[in-house]
Amino acid sequence: MKYAKKAGYIAALILFLIFAAGPFVWTFIISITPDHAMFAPTPELLPGEVTFENYKELFSGGQRGSRFFESMYNSLRAAAITLCIGVPVAVMSAYALSRMEFKGRKVIKNLLLITMVIPVMATIIPLYQMFAAGKMLDDIFWLSMVYVSSYLPMAVWLISNYFATIPEELEEAALIDGCGKFVSFFRIILPLSYPIILSVILIMFLNTWSQFQIPLILASSMETKPMAIVVSEFMTKDTIQYGLIAAAGMLALIPPALTALIFRKYLISGMTKGSVKG
Amino acid sequence: MKKKIAPYLLLTPMILIMGVLVFYPIITTFTYSLKKWKLTSPGDIRFIGLKNYRNILQSDSFWYSMQNTVYILVLVIVLTTILGCLVAAFLKISKKCSGILLALAILPWALPPFVNGILWKFVFFSGYGFLNKLLIGIGAVEKPVEFLASRWLLLFVISIVVVWRSVPFMALVCLAGRQSLPEDVYEAAEIDGGTKGKIFLHVTVPLMLPFVGVGLTSTSVTAINVFDEIVALSGYSDLAKNILMESYLTTFNFLDFGKGSAMTYIVLFFALLLGIFYLRSLNKEVEY
Amino acid sequence: MKKRWISLLLVSAMTLSMLAGCGSSEDTAEDTSEGGEGDKITFMVPDWGVPTDEQLAAFTEETGIEVEIAEVGWDDIREKIATAASANECAADVVEVDWSWVGEFYAADWLEPLEVSDEDKEDMPTIETFTVDDKVLAMPYANDYRLAYYNTEQFAQAGITEEPQTWDDVLEACRTLKSTGTVEYPFAIALNAEEKTATCLMWLAYTMNGVVWNDDGTFNEESVMEALKYMETLINEELVAPEDKTSSGMDAYMRICGGTASFLTGPTSFVSRSQNEELCSVVGQITPILVPGKDGKAAQTMPLPEAIGVSSLSENKEAAKKFVEWYTSADMQKQLNETNSAIPTRNSVLEELINEGAIENPGAMLEEAQLVSSPFPNGIPSYYAEMSSAMYNAINKMALGELTAEEAYEEMSSALDTLLSEE
Repeated sequence: MKYAKKAGYIAALILFLIFAAGPFVWTFIISITPDHAMFAPTPELLPGEVTFENYKELFSGGQRGSRFFESMYNSLRAAAITLCIGVPVAVMSAYALSRMEFKGRKVIKNLLLITMVIPVMATIIPLYQMFAAGKMLDDIFWLSMVYVSSYLPMAVWLISNYFATIPEELEEAALIDGCGKFVSFFRIILPLSYPIILSVILIMFLNTWSQFQIPLILASSMETKPMAIVVSEFMTKDTIQYGLIAAAGMLALIPPALTALIFRKYLISGMTKGSVKG
Repeated sequence: MKKKIAPYLLLTPMILIMGVLVFYPIITTFTYSLKKWKLTSPGDIRFIGLKNYRNILQSDSFWYSMQNTVYILVLVIVLTTILGCLVAAFLKISKKCSGILLALAILPWALPPFVNGILWKFVFFSGYGFLNKLLIGIGAVEKPVEFLASRWLLLFVISIVVVWRSVPFMALVCLAGRQSLPEDVYEAAEIDGGTKGKIFLHVTVPLMLPFVGVGLTSTSVTAINVFDEIVALSGYSDLAKNILMESYLTTFNFLDFGKGSAMTYIVLFFALLLGIFYLRSLNKEVEY
Repeated sequence: MKKRWISLLLVSAMTLSMLAGCGSSEDTAEDTSEGGEGDKITFMVPDWGVPTDEQLAAFTEETGIEVEIAEVGWDDIREKIATAASANECAADVVEVDWSWVGEFYAADWLEPLEVSDEDKEDMPTIETFTVDDKVLAMPYANDYRLAYYNTEQFAQAGITEEPQTWDDVLEACRTLKSTGTVEYPFAIALNAEEKTATCLMWLAYTMNGVVWNDDGTFNEESVMEALKYMETLINEELVAPEDKTSSGMDAYMRICGGTASFLTGPTSFVSRSQNEELCSVVGQITPILVPGKDGKAAQTMPLPEAIGVSSLSENKEAAKKFVEWYTSADMQKQLNETNSAIPTRNSVLEELINEGAIENPGAMLEEAQLVSSPFPNGIPSYYAEMSSAMYNAINKMALGELTAEEAYEEMSSALDTLLSEE
């Protein structure tokens, strides 16, 4: 029985690795394949010759490379602004919506949650017009605000679900001890809900990292363009630099991978033993 | 009195952001959808009521795209939910190297859809792509298989690609949800003499539903709004186009902003129905 | 109850005014900086058209006009211009104009007509493409016209010594290449559902019969049908690679550089591409030749140039026009060939570069450049995007075996008829 369990686990692990990592291994292979051998009709998995030109081009400080890193920096900046605004706003709203009674609560909550389904295409043209009128185009702050507006419903939903599972008595006890609502929120609620807040941070970060359609319309200069757009520009009308795109894609994975590694501790180990019990 | 203002104060930033950046634009788009507004005839912009909607709903090409959209949607939802929960369960069991596995599991989602499309284009390339090389290597086929040449197979491939990108979110949400379950509920259930299976069915599942609901809604939105992957795998082919692509082409390629807005609104309406369904069935507030 | 609402309103008003305050203070800062310096224009262009800093500095010194570059992906430029125009905004003072966009840009009134001397018109045959109702809407800066290429070594291996003169010759040669086992899929052509596939049909019909559309805008059935049939033959006899039906047109073209195709009619850029060791595994084997025709070489070839034009919403039109003039001048074209490997649109410059040896392995490049003429009898139509979409989808369906050539023709011509009736 124990044996079968272990075998099953290992099988699951192998399957998981193939599907999760396989495509990345393949991307890496593309990134070191010379352009002319890209579609070579051979059944061999590895290219006959290997080139690191694509990585060299990105790191050499040439125009392409410097643009790519500049855009990574822009993406990081946008993510930082998004988090600084998005997380507090989401926590505040979730707290009000899940732990307070007031008129219009249901309506506001449902209206907010339902905006989750709105596709970017449905708002982008009026947004452009509004931003053009207010001279907010090509501005990383306003760009991030648009991201925030698209993540808020999901973030609020997740956090308020979590808040709802924290027993009322805990907070009441704190109130009896003489803490104000404000203090009890920081003392009791926040510490208990850090796993979900971290998840939300991770979600917002990763979503911002791969933004494409919104900045495509609202950003134009090198000071604001995010990574996904600059990488897509490696594919132009008459040239598709698959190798370079693959190499850039590999490098672009580093920041999210690091973030996920940093957060892993809180996301998994934090959840094992009843942290919620308080 | 003070207590009653507090919730509104807390909600003000959210209401402002959503009002200005979502509700105002979405209403504006609706007014566009009631106009004849083609950029190539700037002299002829006028209100035409629901005519754009009528034209769209009467065209065969719309219903064809709708079929594709629904096909992708169903496949993606089913596969993502199953795989997402499995991955979450797997990550929860693997204690030793869970960190690295988690990081790995999350990566597909960090890839911009455009790069994702290119990556899978190489995998499913009809010549000697990765999958064909593998199949030829193990002797399953002799000549490369054309994965992208027939409608349903192509749509299946597209769905797989989208699933790969959306499983991480589902898994993460499931993990986060699992974490919110208070241990004492389990202890109580065990004392009551529940078996593992029963506890799972009667305790874990209902408690997890609101979280799975977030995952489902987000996955559905992703599945309705697939774009880059389709373009990378089959160009702007009629074969695999979905309604979002049709609305994109109408707006930005044919420069018909009126009709394009109407089409976007149909996409939105479709997503709205799903969203309301999820909200109603999955977002019951749980009491302990 | 009332108080609550009032305070809510107050808070939102305060927040709004704060936000507005930020916005407006930025505005004024921008305004003063713009006013303080001389003329300033923006130039929206894909990466290959971006001039070097030195070149821009020289322009600023000469004219006092500062140029700000907005580098945008080629596909995205049109999307940006359209969105901006819908808000009555100027996306940039000088913008990229692809040949296929001219019709709709003109209809949408986004371009300011330019004054061009007769000498320039003479020297730049591709200007014709950007002229609508006798108005020149944009100046071509990067040349592209269809040129044929063949792999001499593979042809020789299959026992073919003569350069193909007609499309029938090409077909015969490809059959021989395939039957001798030299090359499995010798003909490279775009068949995927994308713009390049539509242009493939256009130039094929145009080089065969010199006509694609009738004067009333409908397809010339005889000519287009013949080209479609030709494509169908290529597909049925598997002279084109099966993956070309679903892979991008550029991938299909690139097969000639990978050595898996022996014949290509494609972009002029393949002249230099076939000389580049990084991109091409068969350097030295590919020769550019005149595009075949029906009974001998084609008497005309289709231009697909890129141009720049002045936005009609620009507030700095004079400066923008000066920039366009400078950017497309003979001297600049020579420089841009060196720095951006742009192919000049002025035949005089092209000739000079080839004679100097700056363009290697030109083959029939110059000769073909003199045969350039537009296949559109009334200029590029405003419904070009819709027409092209109907064309490439019909061809793609034919390639996938869903339609015969006749059915494909029926599909695209009825789509075109609908577009014409809506005009």
